[in-house]
Amino acid sequence: MAKGKILVVGGGIAGLTAAEKLARAGVAVALAEKSPYLGGRVARLHRYYPRMCPPRCGLEVLIKSLSRFSHAEIHLITEVTGVQRSIPGLYTVTLQKKSTDLNQQAEELVIDAQGIIIAAGADLYNASLIKEYGYGRLPGVITSMEMESLFRPEGPTGGLPVHPVTGGPLRRVAFIQCVGSRNKNHLPYCSGYCCTVTLKQVQYLHQSLKDIRTWIFYQDIRTPGSKEEYYRHVREEYRPVFIRGLPSSVEFKADSNELLLKSEDTLSKKRVTGSFDLVVLATGMVPPALTHFYGIEKDTFGFFSGHTPCEPSELRRSGIWAAGCSQSPMDAGDSVKSALAAVTQCLVKLQQQPSVYPEINTKKCDRCGRCVKECAYGACIMGSDGYPAVDPGDCRSCGICQGGCPLLCINLPGYGGKKIEEIVDRALSESSPGPSILLFLCGNDTYPAWIKLVTQVNGRGLEGIIPCSVPCIGAVNAAWINEALISGLDGVMLAGCHPDQCHHAVGTSLAATRLENLKETLSRMRLEPERVCLTGITIDESAKLLEEIEKFRTLLEKLGPNPFK
Amino acid sequence: MPPKVDQQKCDGCKGEKEALCEAICPGDLMYLKEDSLKADCRSPRDCWDCMSCVKACPQGAIETRLPYQLGYYPAKLIPLLGSKRVSWTCIGQDEKVERFSYKNRND
Repeated sequence: MAKGKILVVGGGIAGLTAAEKLARAGVAVALAEKSPYLGGRVARLHRYYPRMCPPRCGLEVLIKSLSRFSHAEIHLITEVTGVQRSIPGLYTVTLQKKSTDLNQQAEELVIDAQGIIIAAGADLYNASLIKEYGYGRLPGVITSMEMESLFRPEGPTGGLPVHPVTGGPLRRVAFIQCVGSRNKNHLPYCSGYCCTVTLKQVQYLHQSLKDIRTWIFYQDIRTPGSKEEYYRHVREEYRPVFIRGLPSSVEFKADSNELLLKSEDTLSKKRVTGSFDLVVLATGMVPPALTHFYGIEKDTFGFFSGHTPCEPSELRRSGIWAAGCSQSPMDAGDSVKSALAAVTQCLVKLQQQPSVYPEINTKKCDRCGRCVKECAYGACIMGSDGYPAVDPGDCRSCGICQGGCPLLCINLPGYGGKKIEEIVDRALSESSPGPSILLFLCGNDTYPAWIKLVTQVNGRGLEGIIPCSVPCIGAVNAAWINEALISGLDGVMLAGCHPDQCHHAVGTSLAATRLENLKETLSRMRLEPERVCLTGITIDESAKLLEEIEKFRTLLEKLGPNPFK
Repeated sequence: MPPKVDQQKCDGCKGEKEALCEAICPGDLMYLKEDSLKADCRSPRDCWDCMSCVKACPQGAIETRLPYQLGYYPAKLIPLLGSKRVSWTCIGQDEKVERFSYKNRND
């Protein structure tokens, strides 16, 4: 396997955790951070929950430990400018490293990376886009991130919790939740961390100021798991006023230097107005814009999420993992957890035994590149000799390349064309009274369901069915289906996962496209297109599988024997 | 009669430089249209009906019409390739269907 470093993109808490753990495991790592300092957003916090300890402590332990290793490089003010897959198993990443000396030219770095951990964080939602809150226009309307710096000794007020503009004392502070979040005009999702942040800041205020009144305008307080206990503690200890309803307007009264909030309390159905010294907006997170990573799937909101729940950090480009807020909005604790998950996946990849991977017959291959385009993982690339090449470490043995190859020159050992031909020949030599059906079964879900079905019914009612397991239904080549039909088998059924549950993401949908094309050709050939069908079965749907088989068989009986017989 | 490409089914061999029909045509008649990246025949009158492109197309998107002398529309000759066998479906002008299937590869 090709040797290279692991590149960690982003030097926040997730990136630092990942890089430090990998370095400790003896893996060569390079960490690239686009800002001039390490620690990301966590470095700008006053305290983090639940222990309310200063984040400096945790970060410094990580940075000290990381810089101790000679096989760990840290590049600051460095951005990724290109990611290329040139050799199987290696990414060639170009980085642009700027200098702190403005007169110096930016330097270009090239790193051969065996894997990349994307821990680029997320941006905060731009609160000024919500016009009615007046962020950036009214004095005393700040975001929760700015609220953090109000308590930090190096902050604008020198660590004194006073009004950030006038320097006057704080007596009444309002928090507005879901700023941008859970609003289909802004961010449709819940960022998940902002409620606890507000509770934490309520605690800051009450601990440092005696005569403080705090109000929280919210939609729902979301503090899952052990955070509920913290919510209860803050509620009972400091007694902030909870108003269920988001303010409709924030106005500034110049004569009294106060902010006037108007809202509706949806619980009492009454209008609420209040004047405050400070309004804190709990903003949600927006996904990072990483344009240089090609072919990586994103969730509907733009975050880099893997295949949840089975492989949350492994993205569909083998050797690229996501950690921290790039994966989904999360707090520091969850970021560390996701970084550890990414590290585990990364170490598995570095240490794993070679898996079954497709062999490419370069004598037959005409370099059409379909396998490269269809591989869900980017494991199949055009090698330096111009022929497709597969890296054993990247390949997840789904066989989708084999299914798509028009020249049948890709063979996944154990699941290739040879096996299918043998099965078809054997089926033709045996004769059964009813229709003969070749049944392809996806190894993830449908094959286990089939095995269960066979033991349940003891083979009764399954006469004439020729089962054939494949790693993914996308591994079935259209030529095999043709072969079965023109040899005289009556029908071919493809039983895969449901399209949105496919373990290899695109297998079922590729099979569906291939079948649609074939059906059109069959109807031109005056061969009933119903002789081929695709169905989605989950692992526990043995009964549905039997039902589908029976339905298909009845249909085939009605159609009569295959005219090619 | 020239090959007719089903523009819905053709996927331009996923946007590769040379599509399979382009590569196999002995008369160098097939090409990918620049705007849509779908295959087409550049000079229909020069086609000899060898049907190589029909057999090569992984999407089953190409159909050739039989020459007028052999049988006017709707007569058809449709090949379908399996992994070891090839089949021919012959639809005459009288709608009579004949099918042939035989082994064309031993390995």
